[in-house]
Amino acid sequence: MTIEPQQKLPAYDIGDIQEKKFRLRFVQILLFVFFGIVVLRLIQIQILESPMYKIIAQKQYQAKFLLPAARGVLYDRKGNVLASNSQLVSFAADPKIALEDADDISKKFSKIFGKPKNYYLQELKSDSRFVWLERMVDLKYLKEFDVKKMTGVIVRYETKRIYYNDYLAGQLIGAVNIDNSGISGIEQQYDKELKGVDGYVVFQRDGLRRARPSVDYPRVEPRDGNNIYLTIDIQLQAIAEKELKRGVEENKIDRGLVIMMQPRTGEILAIAQYPKVDPNHFGKYEMEDQRLRAFTDMFEPGSVFKIVTASAAIEHNLVKPDRKFNAEKGSYKVYIGSNKKTREITDAHKAEILTFQEAMEMSSNIVMAKISDIIGAERFYKMARDYGFGIATNIEYPGELNGVLKKPINWSATSLNTMAFGYEVGVTPLQIVCAYAAIANDGVLMKPLLFKKEVDASGTVVRASKPQKIRNVISHSTCETLNQFLEGVVERGTATQAKVKGVRIAGKTGTSKKLIDGKYTTGDYIASFVGYFPVEDPQIVCLVMMDKPKGISYYGGTVSAPVFGAIAEQVITTTDITSRLTPVIASVDSGAVSTEIEKNKYMRASNLVPDVRGLSLRKAIETLKTQGLIPIVNGSGIVSTQLPSPGAPKKRGMQITLICQQKNNYDIGMNDQTGDRK
Amino acid sequence: MNEHRNHIDFWLMSAVLTLMLLSLGIVYSASASYAQVKMGDSEKMLTSHAIKVIMGIFGMFFFIRLDYKVVRRFTKYALILAVVMLFMTLVLGVVSKGATRFIRINSIGFQPSEFAKYALLFHLSVLIASKQEIIDDLRRGFYPMIFWVGLVTALVMAQPNFSMGAMIFGLSMILLFIGNVRLKHLLLTFAVLLPIIGLYLISAEYRLRRVTDFFSGVSSGTVPSNYQPWQSILGFGNGGIFGVGPGESKQRDFFLPESYGDFVFSIVGEEYGFLGTIFFLAIFFYILIRGLRISKNAPDTFSKYLALAITLSIIFYALINAGVTLRILPTTGLPMPFVSYGGSSMVFSACAIGVLLNISAHTELHPRAREVPVIGSVDADNVELRKVY
Repeated sequence: MTIEPQQKLPAYDIGDIQEKKFRLRFVQILLFVFFGIVVLRLIQIQILESPMYKIIAQKQYQAKFLLPAARGVLYDRKGNVLASNSQLVSFAADPKIALEDADDISKKFSKIFGKPKNYYLQELKSDSRFVWLERMVDLKYLKEFDVKKMTGVIVRYETKRIYYNDYLAGQLIGAVNIDNSGISGIEQQYDKELKGVDGYVVFQRDGLRRARPSVDYPRVEPRDGNNIYLTIDIQLQAIAEKELKRGVEENKIDRGLVIMMQPRTGEILAIAQYPKVDPNHFGKYEMEDQRLRAFTDMFEPGSVFKIVTASAAIEHNLVKPDRKFNAEKGSYKVYIGSNKKTREITDAHKAEILTFQEAMEMSSNIVMAKISDIIGAERFYKMARDYGFGIATNIEYPGELNGVLKKPINWSATSLNTMAFGYEVGVTPLQIVCAYAAIANDGVLMKPLLFKKEVDASGTVVRASKPQKIRNVISHSTCETLNQFLEGVVERGTATQAKVKGVRIAGKTGTSKKLIDGKYTTGDYIASFVGYFPVEDPQIVCLVMMDKPKGISYYGGTVSAPVFGAIAEQVITTTDITSRLTPVIASVDSGAVSTEIEKNKYMRASNLVPDVRGLSLRKAIETLKTQGLIPIVNGSGIVSTQLPSPGAPKKRGMQITLICQQKNNYDIGMNDQTGDRK
Repeated sequence: MNEHRNHIDFWLMSAVLTLMLLSLGIVYSASASYAQVKMGDSEKMLTSHAIKVIMGIFGMFFFIRLDYKVVRRFTKYALILAVVMLFMTLVLGVVSKGATRFIRINSIGFQPSEFAKYALLFHLSVLIASKQEIIDDLRRGFYPMIFWVGLVTALVMAQPNFSMGAMIFGLSMILLFIGNVRLKHLLLTFAVLLPIIGLYLISAEYRLRRVTDFFSGVSSGTVPSNYQPWQSILGFGNGGIFGVGPGESKQRDFFLPESYGDFVFSIVGEEYGFLGTIFFLAIFFYILIRGLRISKNAPDTFSKYLALAITLSIIFYALINAGVTLRILPTTGLPMPFVSYGGSSMVFSACAIGVLLNISAHTELHPRAREVPVIGSVDADNVELRKVY
């Protein structure tokens, strides 16, 4: 080797060498300290804090996927489907993973769903780890994508509540929100029962959210929601709605309602309300129309309340039916207290002399006021209370009102006379129906029922309602007298328009002025008629209430009674009234039934789409084919989802879409419930 | 001098080869999922890495056999070549993740900055050694050195590759510091450059965010730019003392980005636990000790500084990389030498180790030699003196 020329033997002094040594030593120490820091940090993370990180990491590697329980089906009393489910699909994404593919994904979604590309791009730029792209769309869209090719896109199957009869009993049934929770009506009342218990399965997952089943955790199967049978009869419901609509339209009425009840059991057979709402699109209606006014509205009943006066007078044997009263030619001045102030009570039907019975038939306020003086405050109050006024019926339904029935101690000098013909009290339509049902039920007040039974997925009855007697309100003989009075109302009194040939009908009209801002206005009336038939063995109590008639007539007898008559006539002609109210499936194939009924003909409990979920594909196809259904297959393996859902009405030749998954392949479509990094 | 060939530092070579071989297993585990999903073949990245390891070993042996004094003659040309390549990278480089850091020659891409780093450090060693007498002279001693440092740093940062540029600058300054450059000159350089570097740092939002997020103290993965270090720490923590076992990493399944590259140390921690990470650190520590020793016993000033430069470069890289994965330091884009997937670093670092080993062959490490009082053990330039014995 050669020594390069510039290399001379340098002459350094000691200070130089020491400084040089120091500089190197300085850097060495720096490095040693650096090593020390790294080691300490490793001790901290890998030894001291390791248990904490292990827990966090485990959570990150596991995904608890929800196996949603199917919401229970709502049936009417005979097993016709009112509400069921359909399978839809939602698309979501994890922007963290979609990252590079965001543009492609946006383009594709924009092409298929028609929204601007930027809409999806915006979502995919979000900082969150879970964004919805499209919610609740038809299953057919699944075929448009190769989801596995789109990194970060998540598919979620979701069920949507379907109300098969659209408007039928809309308010009564209520609705669910987008998360399938009941927010109104029956759906809200029995949300817990209908909801079921979601199952889950724990998966191992990776950073792309791809998952595979974990062997360490058992799969917890969902328990589907229980099915609920209501006391409603969709056939009667359809009749009520059809006739209500006609009555409302003929009389130019804002709102109206019809309630039908079986007096013997207290079971509600129909609740119609106008304007109608469609539970499939519940949100678009006003709050006023969403709620079930039959339970949640209070009004001053007017003359229909006179049964309280009559009952008290007869029950206590104070006034005989043929006792004559001076009807004051329609105008009666009552002195109030000592200062000679008077108050005028008027009758629409002016008369000189009326018997008690005639006064009921002609609905004389004057005579009723006079009779109430004979009865006295305490007895009157007790009778009203016994009929159930002033307290909620405790029907299983959200939002029921108590009504208002003041105690005698709070009454003014005129209160008794006023209450005798149905003012100064607040009642719900339901309370009125219950009171009349008590008369039709030989004086026994029954608790009103909407709930018939709750049945679980295996068909076991979890809970069933039984007719519940509340109290004896009036005696048998009082009932007979009242029957006679009320039949007279229809035969020759104010409600002759409710008459139907061949059936004895009893009932009472009511026309009350509406209390608006504390004043009774002459323009606003509530016209009502409540009655029952056949009188000899009452099967149905029916209330027709019309709010604010604007036509030529506003009386209960001219506006509501004809609707009652039309309903009664159809009920009698299209149904076998004595046997039809038993839970046996009755014949519905009668020509005169409305189209809504036609639509439901095939919805029999025995005639529903079978549940093939969980079956192997081969078995599922076999099952469907033997029942005359056409399977459409999507995927292979085990059937995970079917459309229409089990329990949906079955038609011969109907197509059933089956979505299958390999048993251990849950790459897509599961509901991520960990939520830690959403 | 050929007789010394037999005395290359065998243990140092073993340590480096151990790292390179272990990296095969670790990179395979860390990259399998990524390669499977993105390239359709779980072994694709392993293959590529193995090729680089083999290239590195060849390069290492080449430089073991090449006398370092020959290397010395070429440092200037190598550095000029490096500068030219850096220019070329800026003009026609491959754009990747917002920066042009690669160039391609016959479809083989490599990072000129890795080459430039060693070329600069090599040439600085030459300059320091040859200018020891005039090292205090600003014009003749300091300017020529700082000229090259500034040029290379500026070109790398222009890619833009801040962390690499900063590393090159920092390593150069440390080398100059040890090489007796006047403190006044170094401090003045810092005084001039720090504001410029600061401006550069905040000129790009992602760089600034990395730093502010780091100092904001948010430790969980909620801040987007903290996601990667957070996942890295989760991996270390989940590994615990003994690790989850070879090939059992879950962080590599797309939880930890770059798990095979700059964050491969986290996978080591996850699969092999505290024992594994300490083992890797111990190897690097051993490389440091051996490197310092080779430098101490180096036959001349040039080889002394060269040995230091190579050792410090590798150790600083390893420590800073570990610091980033452990969130002691803000996120940078520096690989762990000999372990991370990334061909340029692997090949050039192996070559540099080859040079270091060649220097070791020129030292006398056997017991008898140690007893010999070497004149000026720190600056034993005159090899001839030793030959007396």
